[in-house]
Amino acid sequence: MQKLKVCILGTGNIGTDLLIKILRSEYLECTLFAGRNLNSKGMSKALSLGIPLSDKGIDAIIENPNCCDLVFDATSASSHSEHAPILENLKKIAIDMTPAKIGSFSIPSVNIKDSVKHTNLNMITCGGQASIPMAYAISQVVDNISYIEVVSTISSKSAGPGTRINIDEYIETTQKALAQFTNCKNVKTIINLNPAIPSIDMHTTIYVQTDTLDLQVVKNSVNIMLEKIREYVSEYDIILGPEYDNGIIVLTIRVRGMGDYLPKYAGNLDIINCAAIAVAEEFAKEQNKG
Amino acid sequence: MDNNKVIIYDVSLRDGSHAISHQLTKEQISKYAQASEKANIYAIEVGHGNGLGASSLLVGQSKLNDEVMLRTAKENLLNTKLGIHVIPGFATINNDIKKAIEIGVDIFRVACHSTEADTTQRHISYIRDRGKEVYGLLMSSHMTSADILLEEAIKMQTYGAEAIVLLDSAGSMLPHDVKERVELMSNNLKIPVGFHGHNNLGLAVSNSIVALDSGAKIVDASIKGFGAGAGNTQLEVLVGLLTKYDYKTNIDLYGVLDLATLADSLLLKEAITISPLSVVSGLSKVFSGFSKHITRISTKYNVDPRDVFFELGRQQVIAGQEDKIIDVAMKLSKTKGK
Amino acid sequence: MNYFNISLDESIKIQELKNSEILVSGGTGFFGKWIVEIVTYLNDNLNFNIKLYLVARNNSKHINKIIEGRKDIVFIKNDIRNLREVPSTIEYIIHAAATPDNSIHMSNPIEVMDTISQGTKQILEIALGLDNVKKILNISSGQVYGILSSNMISEKNIGILDTNSINSIYPEAKRYSETLSIAYKSLYKLPVVQVRPFSFVGPYIGLEKPWAINNFIKDAIKFKKIRILGNGKPIRSYMYPTDMAWWLLNMLVDSKNGVVYNLGSSEGISLEKLALKIKAKVGIDIDIEILHMNDNSSIFIPDESLVKDKLNLDIKVGIDEALDKTIDWVLKEI
Repeated sequence: MQKLKVCILGTGNIGTDLLIKILRSEYLECTLFAGRNLNSKGMSKALSLGIPLSDKGIDAIIENPNCCDLVFDATSASSHSEHAPILENLKKIAIDMTPAKIGSFSIPSVNIKDSVKHTNLNMITCGGQASIPMAYAISQVVDNISYIEVVSTISSKSAGPGTRINIDEYIETTQKALAQFTNCKNVKTIINLNPAIPSIDMHTTIYVQTDTLDLQVVKNSVNIMLEKIREYVSEYDIILGPEYDNGIIVLTIRVRGMGDYLPKYAGNLDIINCAAIAVAEEFAKEQNKG
Repeated sequence: MDNNKVIIYDVSLRDGSHAISHQLTKEQISKYAQASEKANIYAIEVGHGNGLGASSLLVGQSKLNDEVMLRTAKENLLNTKLGIHVIPGFATINNDIKKAIEIGVDIFRVACHSTEADTTQRHISYIRDRGKEVYGLLMSSHMTSADILLEEAIKMQTYGAEAIVLLDSAGSMLPHDVKERVELMSNNLKIPVGFHGHNNLGLAVSNSIVALDSGAKIVDASIKGFGAGAGNTQLEVLVGLLTKYDYKTNIDLYGVLDLATLADSLLLKEAITISPLSVVSGLSKVFSGFSKHITRISTKYNVDPRDVFFELGRQQVIAGQEDKIIDVAMKLSKTKGK
Repeated sequence: MNYFNISLDESIKIQELKNSEILVSGGTGFFGKWIVEIVTYLNDNLNFNIKLYLVARNNSKHINKIIEGRKDIVFIKNDIRNLREVPSTIEYIIHAAATPDNSIHMSNPIEVMDTISQGTKQILEIALGLDNVKKILNISSGQVYGILSSNMISEKNIGILDTNSINSIYPEAKRYSETLSIAYKSLYKLPVVQVRPFSFVGPYIGLEKPWAINNFIKDAIKFKKIRILGNGKPIRSYMYPTDMAWWLLNMLVDSKNGVVYNLGSSEGISLEKLALKIKAKVGIDIDIEILHMNDNSSIFIPDESLVKDKLNLDIKVGIDEALDKTIDWVLKEI
């Protein structure tokens, strides 16, 4: 079976963590690790693993378009806005890890089959990857949802300057995707940073407001979704619910990271990477079929 | 600012919101606003207990939406300024802050947990850029050492904040804690420092005096202590007490006493007292706003709410982590069951 | 828009720059933009034939528009920390890669210090590989002077900087960059000169940077109100960028290696007077509020004597004209 050749753009923590996951994958092969700074920790790590490196960023792909078929863009929203049309022209599949939101929203456990029909996939946000599958699972079996609310708490250490300056974008992107996948227009997203040491794991609580439901049916739907998510995020657990109280379904998720390159408490960063890998692997499987 | 002039910032209609599960009515807002104007209060803060955009299932939904609350207040104020509390993570610039600016809010108090000031950069500079007064608030500052608080305050000052207010969110600070923090801030910042006390351990008013003596220029207070749990620094008591000191508040004593009488019938369902749970909240250093949630959930899971408080304190939960309460209650109930 | 008016006679001072190649790091910033302005003027009007290389990690629409169709300006998109190759024909370097935005210093302090320290090292390493480098201007900062009690800061005074403070993120990194460049000069005889800029006001000034003068101008225009948080007594000075650019080019040819030069105006003005001048320029119905939140009355002005004596340079655009031109520009931009 032929592995799909992939390139990682952006050699920070996200990019490097993706690299480690790709090395474990049966379906993906990292043929290029490209960034702007050969001195970065990520570059050193990749070098030690024998991965082809470049500090020319996207130019490395432009100069050698045959090097890969799919690109993970872990740079920044503004950089991805520049990269997207270039990758489109070069006929590369782009998996956008940034908040650029140019492509289609992708959540493997929800729309992976549809995702492979597009050429630019956006991985939304960590809270989105954690909560939307469950909100979706509930919305499939409950009528008359009047409101959905998602609250995520992440450890302070897992939120770098990039996250902190983009809290508003985080909220708006998550809300947009949440509304799209559940078809519920009335949604709200809240995010909290918690500085406790030892760092806490990511927690996300989903509230769904409805006056009619069959709780057992909801539980079944949630459990099926849980198994789907666990296929690509092994430490995704329901720690509370689903419970129904006062017209509100409450469900709390805990996500722990795999500890590949990012620390284990950074489940928020890990889940979005795991999701991206799952989508890329699906492309690989499609390629092998065809 | 003249050396003795201090601002007493009235948080009754915002922190007090916690006491009535955020069910403020138009009548309450308009009557209170008019009376506060008469008492010559510098500014009143209005809104959901957790601020702009916080109405949610997580922390409780307010009866009126932000826009209605703020417009109602604005219509009834002339010289007294209208302030709001804003927490990034709950409120966003596009969804919430833009509208508040348009409504005519005068003072924007952007708050975050006391170690996360950089989450307020965009909001503080956005508001500053629109020509509005903006303060930086450090919540649960009892949980953070003075040196870190100073760094966080300097960040907010750099972003454009015009004052920094330290919040004793769990009413757990002892006088020396207040002195250490306020003194360090006052000596090292270019902008005034404020203190926001809670009364869990009966220290709100005296802590406020300690804060003023340590260089604070702004003190938050609430009429009859109207606020979460054991309530806030009692406004009319503080104003009365300050007449014995050299600090000038410009507040009319009789006016604020009338305000207290009005609040009795208008706002308070029951007097604000220090309940056993409030004492526990202060001792466990857990944000006062959790009290009602903890009571409700503890009853449901049949556990002792005091145990829940202490466990949450041990886990250092912060405002916004109300979902943790169920988690803890459930675990305690399982342990009990064994 | 022609900002410059350099006569043929005046240009003789810098004629050594004719047909030369100049590299500017931080090429899309305030300094970069003004070097572009002065070089295009010299090339278009006085046949200087300078080739200008701008290095920056992000694109700039403004720069892109100017250099479209021009062969004398080349944009190299690269983070200064890993800039590898530049044409070996480059003879002059103006190292201006850093951000003076103090909000960013607060929110991203490690990146700021890294960019300044690694970036300076990288540009010096590159300079080593050039056949004929004649001058390297290390654009440092007037903030390296630290806390001083003098009225005008001359290059010989160095004050106290508390290394153990987040307020020192930027100045301490800049101090390091100065000493590092001297290390390269000592070992490899690189022609390094330190330039310490003070404050500026003029077109292309990033109004989003949280400096008093920016706030005053923005608030006066947008809200007809200027709020001075302190007592209005601190004294500052503001250099107009045409003077700045002219001084920089002169420093490229005339400065003495290993020497420090201030870059700024010695015409001091209190914040209160500044507010009044801005009010006079923008319109009469502007309120000025002095809030007295602190008693800071610091003075931050450069002593120009060294530059005057040794480089024969002076300030041509005073504060009134500087404010006039800046406010006109801001009004047009809005």
